[in-house]
Amino acid sequence: MAKRILIDPVTRIEGHAKISIYLDDADQVDHARFHVTEFRGFERMYEGRPFWEMPAITARVCGICPVSHLLASSRAGDELLAVEVPLPAKKLRRLNNLAQILQSHALSFFHLSAPDFLLGFDSDPVRRNVFGLIAEHPELARSGIRLRQFGQEIIERLGGKKIHPAWCVPGGVRSSLDDEDLRWIRDRIPESRDVTVQALELFKGLVEKFRQEAQSFGNFPSLHMGLVGVGGLWEHGEGTVRFVDSERKIVADGLDPRKFFDYIGEAVEPWSYLKSPYYRPLGYRDGMYRVGPLARLNVCDSMGTPLANKELDEFRQLGAGAVNASFFFHQARLIEVLACVERIEKMLDDPDLKSKDLRADAGVNRLEGVGCSEAPRGTLFHHYQIDENGLIRKANLVIATGQNNLAMNQTVTQIAREYISGPEIPEGVLNRIEAGIRAFDPCLSCSTHAIGQMPLHVEMVRSDGQIIDERQR
Amino acid sequence: MSVVTLTINDQLVSASSGETILQAARSVGIDIPTLCYVEGLTAHGGCRMCLVEVEGARQLQPACFLNVNEGMTIRTETDQLREYRKMIVELLLAEGNHTCSICVANNNCELQDAAVEMGVDHERLEYTYPQREVDVSHERFGVDHNRCILCTRCVRVCDELEGAHTWDISGRGANLKMITDMNQPWGESPTCTSCGKCFMACPTGAIFQKGSTASELDHNRAKLDFLINARENQLWEL
Amino acid sequence: MTGRNGDRIKLATVWLGGCSGCHMSFLDLDEWLFELAMFADVVFTPLVDIKEYPEHVDAVLVEGAVANEDNLEFIRLVRERSKWLISFGDCAVTGNVTALRNPLGDPLTILERSYIELADVNPRLPDEPDILPPLLDRVEPLHRVVHVDAYIPGCPPPADRIRKSLEAIRDGRLPKLEGQDIQFG
Repeated sequence: MAKRILIDPVTRIEGHAKISIYLDDADQVDHARFHVTEFRGFERMYEGRPFWEMPAITARVCGICPVSHLLASSRAGDELLAVEVPLPAKKLRRLNNLAQILQSHALSFFHLSAPDFLLGFDSDPVRRNVFGLIAEHPELARSGIRLRQFGQEIIERLGGKKIHPAWCVPGGVRSSLDDEDLRWIRDRIPESRDVTVQALELFKGLVEKFRQEAQSFGNFPSLHMGLVGVGGLWEHGEGTVRFVDSERKIVADGLDPRKFFDYIGEAVEPWSYLKSPYYRPLGYRDGMYRVGPLARLNVCDSMGTPLANKELDEFRQLGAGAVNASFFFHQARLIEVLACVERIEKMLDDPDLKSKDLRADAGVNRLEGVGCSEAPRGTLFHHYQIDENGLIRKANLVIATGQNNLAMNQTVTQIAREYISGPEIPEGVLNRIEAGIRAFDPCLSCSTHAIGQMPLHVEMVRSDGQIIDERQR
Repeated sequence: MSVVTLTINDQLVSASSGETILQAARSVGIDIPTLCYVEGLTAHGGCRMCLVEVEGARQLQPACFLNVNEGMTIRTETDQLREYRKMIVELLLAEGNHTCSICVANNNCELQDAAVEMGVDHERLEYTYPQREVDVSHERFGVDHNRCILCTRCVRVCDELEGAHTWDISGRGANLKMITDMNQPWGESPTCTSCGKCFMACPTGAIFQKGSTASELDHNRAKLDFLINARENQLWEL
Repeated sequence: MTGRNGDRIKLATVWLGGCSGCHMSFLDLDEWLFELAMFADVVFTPLVDIKEYPEHVDAVLVEGAVANEDNLEFIRLVRERSKWLISFGDCAVTGNVTALRNPLGDPLTILERSYIELADVNPRLPDEPDILPPLLDRVEPLHRVVHVDAYIPGCPPPADRIRKSLEAIRDGRLPKLEGQDIQFG
């Protein structure tokens, strides 16, 4: 007779979700499930709309990483137009994505996860948040806020708006930067770099304290997937797809992101609105893979910039092959922020950022197109089919968080097994389970094209479906 | 033409007989809001935004149709008129599918501007969510009926200025719809000259240039004004 | 600095069927969040770990439209426990992008597209009872479901609109935006 614990809502993640924990006859954790409970049905809504409008509509899938959708959607549009995007536009798009990854990672670390590390997993839930951080660690909170602002401000200077800028379009982008913009960005580089380095030191100093969490927060073998550039360089936009296994051996390399459906399948489970993508050659469930910062660092050979490379070397020591402990998503995220700052700085002297050669024009030249981008949370694919006039006939979005679905389910199972040994649910466990999920920084608005707060409501259920204990926060 | 004197909002205004209240008011800088009116095209009187109070008359009158008369007293700004205009904007918003955030005409839309001007910060009526089509069969332009407010500017500009009369109206009541020729896809229209005047005249994002992305549309109304002015005043005869 | 009566203001933010962009715009208040912290306690938001919506909230900003039965049940509770309920962003105010599914009819066809036609393994509709809330036939703006006291339009509302509204709340006034500050989109 199994029992179920339900966590509802899961908080400080970006979406609506619940967690169920199933206990066996001996009251030991059998397995756990991560339910995403929100659904907005974007795929059907896109049908009959002109594909030129897709970047703006798909950006509204997610307010946290709208730029990722703008980029993937615009790139799918480039395919439909069958044009070569002008080089300056490509560079500006890349700058936009670096700013986006930076701001989203800053949000994940400082606003959402730092309260756990600095105030403690067992601290008062009323204070364990960004406002508690403002009260108790004001300087850290302020520097985190300013780091995110740095990314958001670049996005605004490029697109006129911090959230949902209508800037990146099929064929290119709509505007470039001026000297004043470049000066502003340059002025903020040193501060942003210092804050990131300090945050990394802070996190690395805490790892010892959270040894048990690091061991149990989604620490298991799986594949890792991400884009890599030429020579295996860390890449976030225009590379090819690489899979590595838990030993960091290359399983597949040089895959064309435009053919993702050849190697990624999607499964549905009745208990979640979040679909479960898997690596086709290994089949459903065995084909579990992770995406996002941890995976990107596992698949790449080099970060391409000096400070980030140094951090990557240190990061490699965390695992024998690949780093398989999801707790280190946090560290990977900060290393990526560092890479973003360094790469942005490197770009600033490029006169192309002020170019007026920004957009290639064409009509409908292909009826099917795929666009891909590395979103903060992992690889994002937009796949459109259109009619000869340009109206969408079918659209499918394969979202980063979805691709971590199988791994997130395994993570909650692992944490539940580690911290629950009986029909009662200790308080700190709820937060640890959530924190395990939070390590993936899931963006559920994206994944089911839905969003909201994540509920935490744990239910214990017998195998006959009867709820025997329940706990909510 | 003789000159008449009338009072608009307590201000004495002189106008030529044959002018409308709307023209007389605008000539002295009194703005009366409109949506279907385009200076130089036949008035339509369809949107009712320009309704004014005429002293002695039992009903409100559309300023775009009403001719000036000696001694008239007109009010263009009263609480009742403001409420009516706000309601008209809300009726228009509820009747179509107007999603400003993802519209090609965002930040460049007369309906959106009217909503701001009338203080519409939410819709008091129930949205109807009609099922409407998008036609992008034309090589250069598209029409999204979700955003159409049936102002008929496209019909009038196509008929009166271009002389093609590609656009017309079909259906009645809630089924009213703008059509091209015999209700065939725009791209198959034998009469359309692809001049783009309907696009320039459209107050919302209903008629758009293909390839426009959100918030990108520029109606280029100045070009239309130039054309109308040129025809009326024969600007080419220097 | 505190609220008008010297009391700290109990502020909440809620997230229904929307993209979280309004909440992100809230975070774009950046360092003004420090000022906010001086007069308000944020007692409930997706950014904090309180799972149950508290009693006697002074003002709540609600992002998103009402799209499923959980949203409906929750917003009624929020209404009951809050003095001022404020529609926060276009989805809450007009339905916006979340309501794009409404002209398509009932939600079944929409679910089928996502979970049957676009799935490779187990094509079926997710429907676990008591876990997955059924979708409402029609996505509704907040004020069609509960009484709303004020509106902050925008997709998302820019941070300065949010700041103006919070300053009004600080001063004991119901926010009333006008001019360009009420523009949708």
